[in-house]
Amino acid sequence: MIRVLLVDDHSIFRSGVRADLKDAFEIVGEAGDVDAAVLAIQELRPDVVLLDVHLPGGSGGGGAEVARRSAALLGEVRLLALSVSDSAEDVVGVIRAGARGYITKASSGADVAAAIRTVAAGDAVFSPRLAGFVLDAFGTAAASRDVAVTDDELDRLSAREQEVMRLIARGYAYKEVAAHLFISIKTVETHVSAVLRKLQLSSRHELTAWALERRLL
Amino acid sequence: MTVAAVRPPLVRSRDVLLGGAADALARHLGRPVAGVRVVLLGLTLLGGAGALLYAWLWAVVPREKGTPAAQPTRTLPVAGILLGVAVMLALAIPFTWDAPTLVPFGAAESGLLAVAAVGWALAVDPRDPRHAAAAPLVQRLAAGLLVLLGVALFPGTIVDGRPVVAVLCVVLALLGVAALLGPALLERATARGAERALLARQEQRAEIAAHLHDSVLQTLAIIQNRAGPGTEVARIARAQERELRDWLFAGTDPFAGDLATELRTIARELELQHAVRIEVVTVGDVAEVESHALAAASREAIANASRHAGGEVTVFAEATPEAVEVFVRDRGPGFDPAAIPAGRLGIRESIVGRMSRAGGSATVTADAEGTEVHVRLPRAAVSRPAS
Repeated sequence: MIRVLLVDDHSIFRSGVRADLKDAFEIVGEAGDVDAAVLAIQELRPDVVLLDVHLPGGSGGGGAEVARRSAALLGEVRLLALSVSDSAEDVVGVIRAGARGYITKASSGADVAAAIRTVAAGDAVFSPRLAGFVLDAFGTAAASRDVAVTDDELDRLSAREQEVMRLIARGYAYKEVAAHLFISIKTVETHVSAVLRKLQLSSRHELTAWALERRLL
Repeated sequence: MTVAAVRPPLVRSRDVLLGGAADALARHLGRPVAGVRVVLLGLTLLGGAGALLYAWLWAVVPREKGTPAAQPTRTLPVAGILLGVAVMLALAIPFTWDAPTLVPFGAAESGLLAVAAVGWALAVDPRDPRHAAAAPLVQRLAAGLLVLLGVALFPGTIVDGRPVVAVLCVVLALLGVAALLGPALLERATARGAERALLARQEQRAEIAAHLHDSVLQTLAIIQNRAGPGTEVARIARAQERELRDWLFAGTDPFAGDLATELRTIARELELQHAVRIEVVTVGDVAEVESHALAAASREAIANASRHAGGEVTVFAEATPEAVEVFVRDRGPGFDPAAIPAGRLGIRESIVGRMSRAGGSATVTADAEGTEVHVRLPRAAVSRPAS
């Protein structure tokens, strides 16, 4: 059974998620601030951490700080960011710090459960909004043509990755993306993981500029 | 015959030569203005009674009623005249240098007149449309005269050993510097104060936003999560969340006519009407696209999805250099596009028909997972907002 740690400063939310997930997962613990979360991750070594982006404590870095301070453990512990806001700064900040995906707090219990399973399997969870952000930040086909010459491989998406991102942004589930592109689900997951890696490692200034310039509402 | 009954009231006009006292007196008495002025001037020369009377009338007689916005305006450039007299007195000082008792008076009078010119240029002229433009120049010239007076006379006072005049020179020079820099410094201080107030307001707003973000938005999210998508409670919470978010992050102008804003507005309206959760994702410069046909067709598609499918609807809009595209996907029971009921045919017609009339295209695809409407408009058929 997948072992899950809940990190959120709102106890109501934690108890709600716990009620939703307790049958399908083993909830190993809860934490309400940055320091408690870092400690819990070190001691409990959960498979998946449901990590609130906005978290008090520590040096004020929220979920991203938890991710950074647990960087050494991220090989075995996977972080799934939970965000009430869809603002690019928040979401991309915690993803680049090491989270494997994000879902909004309004997501249903079934969606959260599905996302936990995906992350636990080592894959990435992309919402339509995150996919839209990636397309914008990395530039779509025509826009990236200008910069492709000088850009590192990390700084642009392959044509296939763009297609996958575009379908996710249109609301397709991985399974539907696979069917639409006549590829296997495993291949879709590979593409998404590759995009996640680029999102985490790319130094494209558009990533930060974009986040500052607009806010995804 | 009752003279008092026909006499106009004793009021000063708003468009006057100096103070409007002579004019008011003349109209009240029914005499020519020139005559009144001559009498006043005569009385002034005969010991100053005319000037006193004038000043008294100026102070006591009310100004005639007018619109509050209409500032009183004067024909005479008062500040300029004061400055002119001050300059003449200053020029006379070298000629009186050999009469030690006259020099301090000349310098003091010239200085006082220059100070009066500065005061008039700063306090009265800026509100007088006739002199507002020249006021800063007069102020600077008068201030310059004060400095010049002080600096030019000072060496002579030391050489000739006249301590009273020396002190006067220093005072005049300091007054000049104050008159030159004072107003600008004052203005800057006021501006800084206003800036600080604005900053404080922004900070307060950010604080409120942070607080609401942490409390109300979280609660609204939890409500949606607990109630489950599609329920009445979730719908209201979602609508409230959107409204609050729009206010907090005020990133989009609700009155802008661009496609991104319009899609969000449509989503918000439909979420209020139907049990649906609409995710709007935009890529590229969708915020710079303005197209009525595209927005109207998208609205039909989103409304259709909200009505017939409900649950989760994803709206994806992408602007590329070639075209602007909008995808609306729902999770409802799919339908065979060939066997659309009559009611939906109309809706579909209004999407497909509208897009082809605008020079674009629209397709509807449906499968077991849901329905997707794809509207596309080539760049050539898209107009950009004027900004």
